[in-house]
Amino acid sequence: MLTIEHVSKTFNTPGGQVQALRDVSLSVNTGEFVSIIGKSGSGKSTLLSILGALDNPSTGSIVVDDTQINKLSGAKQTQYRARQIGFVFQQYNLVPNLTALENVMLALEFGGYPATSRFDRATQLLESVGIEEDQRQRRPTRLSGGQQQRVSIARALANQPAYILADEPTGNLDSATGKKIFDLLHDLSRSQKTTIIVVTHDLEIAGKTDKTFILKDGKITTK
Amino acid sequence: MNVLTRGVKNAIRSPLKSGAIVLMFAISIALILSMLVARGSVLSKIEEVKATAGTAVTIQPAGVMGNMGGGDPLTAAQIATITSTTNVTSISSTLTDQLGTDDTNLTSSLELGSFGQRQQRFESSDTAPETTDTEATTRPAPTPRTSVTGTTDVNSIATDGGDLTIRSGEAFDGSSSDNVALVGSDLATKNSLNIGSTFTAYGETITVKGIYTTGNAFQDSGIIMPIATLQTLTDQAGAVSSVTATINSSDNVASTVTALKTSLGEDADITSEAESAASSVESLQGIASLTTAGVIAAAAAGALIIVLSMFLVVRERRREIGVIKAIGGSNGKVIGQFIIEGLTITIIGAVIGLVLGVLVSGPMTTSLVSSSANSTSTTETTAVGPGGQGGRGMGGPGAAFNQGAAQLNTNLTQVTASLTPQIFAAAVGITLLIALLGSAIPAWLTARIRPAEVLRTE
Repeated sequence: MLTIEHVSKTFNTPGGQVQALRDVSLSVNTGEFVSIIGKSGSGKSTLLSILGALDNPSTGSIVVDDTQINKLSGAKQTQYRARQIGFVFQQYNLVPNLTALENVMLALEFGGYPATSRFDRATQLLESVGIEEDQRQRRPTRLSGGQQQRVSIARALANQPAYILADEPTGNLDSATGKKIFDLLHDLSRSQKTTIIVVTHDLEIAGKTDKTFILKDGKITTK
Repeated sequence: MNVLTRGVKNAIRSPLKSGAIVLMFAISIALILSMLVARGSVLSKIEEVKATAGTAVTIQPAGVMGNMGGGDPLTAAQIATITSTTNVTSISSTLTDQLGTDDTNLTSSLELGSFGQRQQRFESSDTAPETTDTEATTRPAPTPRTSVTGTTDVNSIATDGGDLTIRSGEAFDGSSSDNVALVGSDLATKNSLNIGSTFTAYGETITVKGIYTTGNAFQDSGIIMPIATLQTLTDQAGAVSSVTATINSSDNVASTVTALKTSLGEDADITSEAESAASSVESLQGIASLTTAGVIAAAAAGALIIVLSMFLVVRERRREIGVIKAIGGSNGKVIGQFIIEGLTITIIGAVIGLVLGVLVSGPMTTSLVSSSANSTSTTETTAVGPGGQGGRGMGGPGAAFNQGAAQLNTNLTQVTASLTPQIFAAAVGITLLIALLGSAIPAWLTARIRPAEVLRTE
């Protein structure tokens, strides 16, 4: 279970202080498919970063399975990200110098997966997200947006994380490809009991999730 | 794929960019090595020049050079003063004279020639009969002389600075006062002298103990005797026309020369090869300073190339670093990857640079030294006609001094590039230092990158 209590986040910018999140509290049960919607600048990505231990809140706490992750050391947070979290980004964010297969194997390496079985595991993951054999040895620049996002999902799933955090996963894709990616995430949620939190501005997608949180000016309300 | 293979792969992900960095770095490493080699060679040569030329001091009576000039020979008291001077380890003394036809039964092996005639044009006036006749003054015809040198060390006659070559027989004891002599090969041939032959000089019978050869026509037409013998035969007890003092260390030559000048005053002319060597090595010391500056500049350039390149690489790949950290890559793994990347570029560049350096260091050193020698050298190889010795007569140590100075000049042009293990190790050490610096910068930069900031702003 994931619980956020009274989380606020303030940034110092050249234009002065910006409060991205204001006293946000929410909870997500294990295996739920949750969406967070809101306008641009409402604090969605900031919230996702804090959930993924990429950033720490200015105040408040994030408790994941009885562990307050915002109090963990930098090294422990890195370990938490490697083993408990899978990220899916709008821009895919694959490592450009590595092939699709190597990108997935990289996540396996960080998760402490045995070196001898990384190749087989990565191949299996890419196959499960629909990446053909000849596409696995391609670098990201030689893959379509949809294919890159599939590789990104395979990478996120590499270490069998408890949580997948997806930031606008269909934002750069056409509607048909976007739907396929959403269905892929939805199936994962159902088949592997993985908790998935998707940040999106697509109300249609949000409508298909178990729970939706609306973020407005850094404050959250449950729909 | 692990940190090592990722780092190496990243280093060559952009062949053109990496190639340019490697090339620039290689050139700076080649320059470092070349400059180190040049510096090593020059410093080594400076030491060699100082060691070989710096310990001999020549003392001659003021105004005397060989058989030329005028003044009084050095006295036994002055010799004692020289011997007791601090830092003087040994001395060799010489006294020179010439045998005319009245003094010896030997026939000179030298042709008088116009030069010899001119040298003797005044000498018979004292003996010429006075006449008021308007006819030309009657003077005996000039005759070739035979030079004779009395010495405590027969090797001081050698023209190459080494040991005198005794073609047959043996050298005499320098402290002896026996009527013995070494005869030059030309003179021996002219007079059919062999070991054990005798000839007369100054009214005494002299026994030939050996025949020497120097390759110099003037020297090979002379006679060498123990100095005490010549002093007795010429009635100049204790007289010396030249002393070569050997100093215990090249570092003490200057102070010893000063001490000798103080104690002997204006009665003696004192010259040292060290003074000549000092001016000769001055240009080499200039090159050594230049190469030191070159090493520093090339090392700085190499470090700057790597540091700036890696700085740009890290800046260019901030997003990638952010993503790697976001998906669980630790600081250690990211830093390790960039260190391997930096080291790969550095090592490839260093290997190419070291090979390049080995190839160019020789010609570069030779070029540096020869151009310097051409512009600063003041001593030249002396070409002397057979039988002539710069108008000095049989100079003895004076001639040796001339040879020494010529040798210094030769030394300047003979500096050859030598790549010693020490120099190579120094170049590798500097390269490693640059590599560490080039790796530390990206390590520091990547450690500062926070994934949330990168992913938010990109």
